[in-house]
Amino acid sequence: MTTSMSTHTTPSGYLLPSIHSMPPFFTQQPNPATQATVTENWTRLILSYARHRRLFYLRVEDAETKGSEWDEVLRNERINRRLMPSHMSFIMADMVSKNLAVYEPPRQTRTVLLHWRLPEEWAEVLHEWASSTAQLNTILTFYEIIEPPVPSPLSGIPATLLRRAVAILTKTNRAQVIAVADGEGVRFLPGNPAR
Amino acid sequence: MHRLGGVGIAAFDRQSQQKRSFAELSTEISQGQVDLLHAQLAQFRSALAHYAATHRDSIRDDPQFRHAFQRMCTSIGVDPLAGPRKGGWWAEMLNLGDWQYELGVQIVDVCVSTRERNGGLIEMGELVRLVSKLRGVKGGVITEDDVIRSIKTLKPLGAGYEVLDVGAGKKMVRSVPKQLDADQAVVLAIAQEEGGRVSETMLVQRRGWTHERARAALENMLLRDGLCWLDEQDPEQGVAYWVPSAMQWDE
Repeated sequence: MTTSMSTHTTPSGYLLPSIHSMPPFFTQQPNPATQATVTENWTRLILSYARHRRLFYLRVEDAETKGSEWDEVLRNERINRRLMPSHMSFIMADMVSKNLAVYEPPRQTRTVLLHWRLPEEWAEVLHEWASSTAQLNTILTFYEIIEPPVPSPLSGIPATLLRRAVAILTKTNRAQVIAVADGEGVRFLPGNPAR
Repeated sequence: MHRLGGVGIAAFDRQSQQKRSFAELSTEISQGQVDLLHAQLAQFRSALAHYAATHRDSIRDDPQFRHAFQRMCTSIGVDPLAGPRKGGWWAEMLNLGDWQYELGVQIVDVCVSTRERNGGLIEMGELVRLVSKLRGVKGGVITEDDVIRSIKTLKPLGAGYEVLDVGAGKKMVRSVPKQLDADQAVVLAIAQEEGGRVSETMLVQRRGWTHERARAALENMLLRDGLCWLDEQDPEQGVAYWVPSAMQWDE
């Protein structure tokens, strides 16, 4: 009798790695070396799934109750296993310690903002988008960036992440934050990334 | 009284004369033998070169032919990998040394890259499958025997690669220098039969172990050796142990 650990394509079109069909993958391991492997694989899986579905937040509730947008990954109905909330908290803490996620809002540990792109990388994406769509030197509101009329790589980006990316660009004089009528706006300026 | 060697001072002369003659003759004879040996060796070499030229590809590509060849080498007491220099001319001519070392490197590659999930223990069939995959179609078919032979050539590296017999004709390859005790071998054998899953109850029911003994063996493998993983959501027992090296992985 052989149980074969194989990959699986989810309804959303995501290819789950074979380790996801391994029953003990869902249990927090008492052996630290083994758990390091487990954590690393969960981290990779979470970030790559988040990128696939453009998910920005992961909450402990997602592991607690069925019906979240994370079900495909946090549960495996084929082998009847699910990631336990305590195990997920552990993985989230590890991701935060490696800057692969941040607690958002700060001073709580139940929700993380995922860094499937680092803020530095978002800054580049943002500047690249502004220049390729000929919006340098014009004033854009945060809302226009988050909900652009034409979908962009920035569509749906959480305001806090956007603010961080803009802050990185202002440091190198590639953006200016400007007060506008209904809140904040930003003007992107040409310029090369500072080295 | 008549002596063959004569008497007096002349006898000495004659004796040394004889010695010289014998020495000359002896040199001549041994020279002849050496020449003959050289001739034989040259013939053997050319025969071997011919053999190598004709059969090298078969040896490298056809596992059955390779095994027949290796059996032949063993029966005449020749190691196709050994020689005065690295590999030796035997190995050089056949290119078998390179072939064997290359396989060794691939074995190490697979063992090391799967180590984090299997704790340094891999089932032979799985190893052969992954190595074959690494070699691609051009690498030709390799078998368990080839892997075992290559692991022997890795021995001088002292990395602790070893082939373990876990019973029921199943073999595993260990790539970390850890000692497996008899109980662990039993656990591995059961894991093999069960596609990787082992529980305390299984060991108690099938091997007549006490719960304490079963738990100790499993906990050692879990905590000390990292050879198995814990599953706290097992539908039958609540808790089960999984041995990744006994599971089949489709990458």
